[in-house]
Amino acid sequence: MHELSIVNNLMPPLLRAAEEQGAVRIVEVELMCGVLQQVVPDALEMAFEAVAHGTIAEGAQLRVEEEALAGRCRNCKREYAPSIDDYICPNCGRAEPELTAGRDIVLKSVVCELPDEAVA
Amino acid sequence: MKINVVESVLKANDAVAQTNRRRMDETGILTINIMSAPGSGKTTLLERTIPALGTDTRCAVLVGDLQTTRDAERLGGVAAQVTQINTGKGCHLSATQVADGLDSLDLNKVDYLFIENVGNMVCPAAVNLGEHLRVVLLSVPEGEDKVAKYPTLFQPADAILLTKIDLSTVLEHNKTKVYEDISRVNSRATLIECSPRTGAGMQDWYDWLQRQRPERAGD
Repeated sequence: MHELSIVNNLMPPLLRAAEEQGAVRIVEVELMCGVLQQVVPDALEMAFEAVAHGTIAEGAQLRVEEEALAGRCRNCKREYAPSIDDYICPNCGRAEPELTAGRDIVLKSVVCELPDEAVA
Repeated sequence: MKINVVESVLKANDAVAQTNRRRMDETGILTINIMSAPGSGKTTLLERTIPALGTDTRCAVLVGDLQTTRDAERLGGVAAQVTQINTGKGCHLSATQVADGLDSLDLNKVDYLFIENVGNMVCPAAVNLGEHLRVVLLSVPEGEDKVAKYPTLFQPADAILLTKIDLSTVLEHNKTKVYEDISRVNSRATLIECSPRTGAGMQDWYDWLQRQRPERAGD
């Protein structure tokens, strides 16, 4: 449901990265989405299509990779990988990790066409 | 050509959230982001809580809804400062909306700032507003399985309020099941059973709120 706001936040760094290279078209966008963001890929694609319309990112393909959770127990300091519905520490049994991965959304790479590569 | 970027898409929101937090800290405000499904009783909780904190405690509310100013009208009777934020089609508050909300308040006259988020069990949990604490409500009529179904809302909560506890008997509500699910996702949160309508358990909530302020002093 919040995919539209994610895409709205994605567009400025995406367009900036492409324009800095003088790109005329963005072909592919690689994103890493933390599992806690609960991104629905179809909804993200639909939002991207709508927001990218009329920009150099129009028609670009989104590649979304999910980032799993990782954390460190606040109680016993053990590092472990909680799952989205079970945060119990395998060492001490508490469910209070400080999460170190699985929350963010990262723009990892952009594939784009430069003017001399553009297909007429 | 391929350009490697590695830039957080949430950076823009988080930067505004950090500024919000700094503004709150500079003026000694404790800010609590209240989240739940629609109808769990967020507004009723605040209607009871703000008068109970006493006239010496200055409360402000930023209240988020897709439409209407109804919650702000209800809370205007109890809180000195209330701002309604209409998100339109937005399913959660953003740090920028909260920043605009802060601009509308006289921050030098606030001890507690309650942010009543848009009623939604998914999206608000993913968005940092700059708050100090997160409180999640789960009302008895919602049943026993919401923590298991929406763990990401409950996992970062500092306090979880089981509200409308006065309906437990008539709905044959099994709170043990709820607490088992909470123990799998969050053993850190303070659990409070209460009914803003009857007043049952409310003192535990007020005591919790009051305990948070000194702990924040000098942050």
